[in-house]
Order: sequence, then structure tokens, then C-alpha cells
Amino acid sequence: MNMNTLKTFNSNVIFPKPHILFSHTANFINPLKLPSLTPSTPTCQKLQPISASTPPPTTTRHCSSHMAAPTSDDRIARITSAIRVIPDFPKPGILFQDITTLLLDPVAFKDTIDLFVERYKDKNISVVAGVEARGFIFGPPIALAIGAKFVPMRKPNKLPGPVISEEYSLEYGTDKIEMHVGAVEAGDRALVIDDLIATGGTLCAAISLLERVGAQVVECACVIELPELKGRDRLGDKPLFVLIS
Amino acid sequence: MFAEENGLHGDPRIKAISDAIRVVPHFPKQGIMFQDITTLLLDQKAFRYTIDIFVDRYRDKNISVVAGVEARGFIFGPPIALAIGAKFVPLRKPRKLPGEVISEAYVLEYGTDCLEMHVGAVQAGESVLIVDDLVATGGTLSAAIRLLERVGAEVVECACVIGLPLVKGNWRLNGVPLYVLVEPRLDDKDNHEECGL
Repeated sequence: MNMNTLKTFNSNVIFPKPHILFSHTANFINPLKLPSLTPSTPTCQKLQPISASTPPPTTTRHCSSHMAAPTSDDRIARITSAIRVIPDFPKPGILFQDITTLLLDPVAFKDTIDLFVERYKDKNISVVAGVEARGFIFGPPIALAIGAKFVPMRKPNKLPGPVISEEYSLEYGTDKIEMHVGAVEAGDRALVIDDLIATGGTLCAAISLLERVGAQVVECACVIELPELKGRDRLGDKPLFVLIS
Repeated sequence: MFAEENGLHGDPRIKAISDAIRVVPHFPKQGIMFQDITTLLLDQKAFRYTIDIFVDRYRDKNISVVAGVEARGFIFGPPIALAIGAKFVPLRKPRKLPGEVISEAYVLEYGTDCLEMHVGAVQAGESVLIVDDLVATGGTLSAAIRLLERVGAEVVECACVIGLPLVKGNWRLNGVPLYVLVEPRLDDKDNHEECGL
């Protein structure tokens, strides 16, 4: 059975009464250009494998406790320009930060992972917890590089076996995330990873799950922060590290 | 093909990987012995072995795209992509990807489901590796292969941590070779029941 359909998102979505989260053009992300997925030439673009040699040394500038210093770091600039903004997804008024274009740039994707690994490799992190589903893309490479366990935090009913759940509020209603019983132990030092922090609801739920089993949440790390949604405040005393704000 | 029959005979890493996978009986429903890879992810050595074996196999094959099937393919695909210098392309459930997508439906036991990929993520002529944690009926992987072939890419292989040939001795899916590290573990080894999805 083949339903081969070429469709855009808008064609089969019923929008509820629009709730504009931000009515102005958000300039908190300043992409240097909007990367398009459409190739400019029809020929196959072969990517070169990443060199096995170590990358050139980056500027040794002391990072602030909140963000990697953007102006001095070419890697941040490349990462920023690799992220695509999609207006009105999943509903009108929202500017969706699409990291899939970052994943199409192997150098920028590797730089993203390297920036997190450099920060965490000497911090005795024993657990990297990644929030489904985009946290599954960034978390495991970091966990592998720093020698930590990777623990998926999932939507309800996905994890088999005994789980613990934490409910959190959405704009309308609530949602839940789950973690396996026994995956994280008391005394584990944990890092929580997701692609983006908006209101901070999901990250707070993830932090709760980890703290409930006696782990210490060392930091939350995201590629992107939407500062106007004040997720950082919602995390309270838990530090947040982001690459782009 | 199984890794052990294809150059890795006696490799202790294969046993370490298999031992690290947990079997959860009767999930998501009665009769299914669910192969739970989350315990593999808690075992740093075994997780590393998993990625290393795939990377060793694919690093010199000029693969420019690793496509991972949501959600557990997102765990194994990116580390492989990063190590071999390829793009990572997520294949997602409906309405998760923003912007323009192409869709491919596939049949489930009851009803159908759908896999989507971004328009423009993969170009004609690219060599692609598809990654998922497990192959059972092959429905999802077949849909993934169709998506990539529709944009003119060549799927070099499908790589899964766990699986069985769909028909004994036949390790191809829509003509594409399947490479699997370990077979599903069962409580009752004489009784090959349906594997977990």
C-alpha cells in the first residue's frame, strides 16, 4: 500500500484558536542566513569526511556561566547559521527553531557536540539524560565522549518495564515524561540535554525525575534558548548552559 | 547478515552487546518479548562497541547520509554519522518535522502508520545508511527505503542492533542488504516468537 504524498504541513492541520506567543519578529536568534534544504545545483554534493586530526585550538576565552561567548567563537556562528527558522509551526505565531538543518552540516553538528563535551568532560558526569526525541540526537554523542550513561526520558508508555513519571503543564493541559526505574542511582551526577528550552516545563520535569531518585542535576544544556519564555527562571537554582540565545 | 557471520566471528564485543540488552516479556502486549536497548545505553563499553562496529564497517564506504528512524534510530544514528562525516537525517512520525516533507505509509498489524522526511535533506545520487535499533517485520525499514529511493538516493545498507532475517537465509529488504549485530534474546530459546518492535 503506497500513499505517496507530497505535502506541506499546513495542508492537513486544523488550527485551534490561535494563541500568539510572540507577535513581534523575534530577533533573539540572529541567523546569518536562513538555510534552505533545496539544493542550488542538481548534482550530488559529496561531503568530505571529518578529518581525524584534532581541530585547531579555539580562542581561550573564559566562558560566562550562562552562555558560550558567541562573538569570539566561529563555531557558534556556524551553528547559528545552520539552524532554520520555520514560521507558524506548529501553529500561527510560533517561529519554530528547526535543528534538522544543523544535522545536515557535519562540521556544525560535530562542533555542537564538541562544545558540550569540552564543557563537561572533566566534571565527573555519570549520566546524560536526553529528552525525547531531539534530546536523543544530542545526548548520546555527548555521553559516549565523556564516558557517561545515556538515559532516555520518554513520553508515556514508550519505556518497557517499571518507570517513574512526572507530569508537567503545557499551555493547554498537561503532559508526562517517564524514566526507567534503576537507570539512575542516588549519587549519580546528571546532565539534562534537549535541543531547545522554551518555557522550561519539560526540563523541570526531567530535573524532578532525576532528583526523585537521588541524583544530582549538575546542569541543563540546550543548543537554543528562547529567553523571552523565561525558562531559565523556571529552572530556579539549576544552572542552564546554551550555545545560542 | 549477522555481524558474527561477516567478519566478527568470536568477537567478544558481540556477546557484551547481546548481554547488555534486556528482554521485557509481554510488552507492549501479551506474547511479545520486547528487546530493550536502554540497558545497553547504560553500559558505556557495550554502547561504545555497538557504535564502533558500525563505524568500522561504514567509514570507508563513501556514505554521505545516515538516516535514523524515530525514536531509537536517533540514539544510534547520530554517533555513527558524526564518526563517518555524514549528514544525519531523522525519519519521523507524522507532523513532527516542520516545513515541507514527503510521506510514506506502511502497514501495521492493525492499521497503518506513516514515516516522513524533509524535502531537500537528501539529494539524488547520495549513498545512504538507514539505522534503527531493531528490525522485526521490516515494515518501517521498507518505508524508510522507499522514502530515500523516491528522492533518488541509493540505500547502501540497513543497520540494526537487533534482528532476524525476515525469511531464513534472506538478508535483503526491497533488495537492500540488512546488517544486524545480534539476534533477539528470548526466554524460551526453542520458540521463535514475534520480536518486540
